[in-house]
Amino acid sequence: MKFGKRLKEQIEETLPAWRDEFLSYKDLKQLVKLIPEAQPCSKVEAEFIELLNFEIDKLNAFFVGREEEFIIRQRHLQEMVKRVAEMYQARGREEEYAKEMSRIRKEIVNLHGEMVLLENYSSINYIGLAKILKKYDKRSGRLLRLLFIEKILKQPFFTTDLISKLVKECESMIDLVFPSESDHQQLKPEDKRKLVGEEQSIFRSTVVALVTMQEMRKGSSTYGQFSLPPLSLPDNLLQSLQPTPIPIP
Amino acid sequence: MSSSLPFISRSMEKKFPKLHDAQQDVKSNPVVPHYSPFVSCFPGSLSSSAPGFSSDIHHFSFSADERNIQGLSTEGTWCADQIQGALDRSDNVIAGNNQAHSSSIELPDDINRQDEWWTDMMNDDWKELLDDTTVNESHPKVSYPAAQTSASMVNQPQIHQSVPSHSEEGFTVAGSSSATATATKPRMRWTPELHERFVEAVNQLGGSEKATPKGVLKLMKVEGLTIYHVKSHLQKYRTTRYKPDSLEGSMKTAKFGEETPPLNLKTSFDLTEALRLQIEVQKQLHEQLEIQRNLQLRIEEQGKYLQIMFEKQGMSSQKKLEVSTLEPSISSDHAADGRLQDNQLETDVFPEAKVTDGSSNKQMAESCNAKDNKADFVVGSSFSCGSAKIHDGDDSISKPELS
Repeated sequence: MKFGKRLKEQIEETLPAWRDEFLSYKDLKQLVKLIPEAQPCSKVEAEFIELLNFEIDKLNAFFVGREEEFIIRQRHLQEMVKRVAEMYQARGREEEYAKEMSRIRKEIVNLHGEMVLLENYSSINYIGLAKILKKYDKRSGRLLRLLFIEKILKQPFFTTDLISKLVKECESMIDLVFPSESDHQQLKPEDKRKLVGEEQSIFRSTVVALVTMQEMRKGSSTYGQFSLPPLSLPDNLLQSLQPTPIPIP
Repeated sequence: MSSSLPFISRSMEKKFPKLHDAQQDVKSNPVVPHYSPFVSCFPGSLSSSAPGFSSDIHHFSFSADERNIQGLSTEGTWCADQIQGALDRSDNVIAGNNQAHSSSIELPDDINRQDEWWTDMMNDDWKELLDDTTVNESHPKVSYPAAQTSASMVNQPQIHQSVPSHSEEGFTVAGSSSATATATKPRMRWTPELHERFVEAVNQLGGSEKATPKGVLKLMKVEGLTIYHVKSHLQKYRTTRYKPDSLEGSMKTAKFGEETPPLNLKTSFDLTEALRLQIEVQKQLHEQLEIQRNLQLRIEEQGKYLQIMFEKQGMSSQKKLEVSTLEPSISSDHAADGRLQDNQLETDVFPEAKVTDGSSNKQMAESCNAKDNKADFVVGSSFSCGSAKIHDGDDSISKPELS
């Protein structure tokens, strides 16, 4: 029950274009509930599996599409950095250079953010699938979960190696284009809060994702072999962003 | 009843080592990475499959009588055999299948009688097989290019990365997909290398406005790439370049409007600081997700291993695997037939442990001895406490030994 709620919250806080692309956890759960207990194969079960397959395709399609887009954007930004350096910096047009670089920095950070959110997308949908399969097994008395999970682990939406690599490359780019840290001060708390409070932003979505992850990994009544240990975040990371208007019950 | 067990064990054994393969980072491959829609594997919507599927069906249906089946209809039998066939074949597919399969093969009408065989499966003994049906018919597909891939330029002597190609998960031009309403074209997975190639081709043709999909396709010379792929990619490429291009002056970000600095921050200094904070949080999420992912993989691996162990246990003497040497005694949840109930896996393996990479065995050992380990029985720990490493491979699975 809780996961469904958390998933819903995550979806609410996610980027608008992504809202319909998450696992239809609720629908799957409803199907599972309809499965007659301990009976060999019913129509409902067939429906469940069909929906499951459909959902997995949906996840794959979205993920791969985004991944493609990120590849394009990343390369584009790399190109931009070079071009701007050539056009402005090399010719001593410092002011324009600074202006353009400021824009590019923002683009890079946002790209990074979206990529990480895609990783989160992958993760949360996987968790949903794992949970729903567990429910299915319990309800039907079958052992579908392990076999299905094994396949899911190999699906495009879960094999995030490339995205991970892109994220790291992005971070290197950021290190290059950001001024050194020597003279940077912290943002004022109220500015921080404003950042988080801003709806439908990448930043907010990211924070929500972290909070959700933390919440989900706290112990629960169904904590078991396949559950993850509690999350440990660096101190104060989330605290420094509180109080936030994110409604986590 | 026992007919299903060796079946699963065998399939597990073959699949278990494969899991590792799926996670390897693929650098370079000579074929375009494709994957087929998952859904096409569902019984009712099956489409292309490995060639020879139909022949397998015919073959197996003849051998139906040999099986020890009780009270099953012919269709049920067929179903079970189909599973067997699908499993065997899928193993072949996994084991390094780099060839392009022919495009979709229409399966015999048998497949479309899914409704019938669903309702005909009355015998509980076929539960597992039933699961395998739904799952393993998808197997040939899923095992295709599911793993991460990277550049794929066929027959190009000047491939930039010379890393040995990986591809145990056969990257093929998967047959075009199901005849049903779902996704119709094999979806492709782009890589940076492939995109680089694309950009080169586009530039050669005079830029993204001038280049045509056909021209680009020709120049790229990548096997398995279709004009459809190039066209949609070109479209995305054009959109990216002309929307947020800072040299063009206007500034709109990709999918949702973060147009002007959201906070009315007074100085660019503040803006940079805001970005720094944002990056910090993003990095944190990324890191946590990576850790979580590795954990998930490990958990599943272990779960699968244990499943095999318990089923083996059920077949031979139950005493064999008892961890009498350990303090926590095995929970009494073993069903009479040795088959693991689903909720048996719900033991508390990670009480409060913080798992870091590379320390799973150690952590297991710790949780073995941990006083606050409330579980009656920690399945995972039992094996590692006994200093038997969780290793794969057929031998170890068939002869589990604790110290």
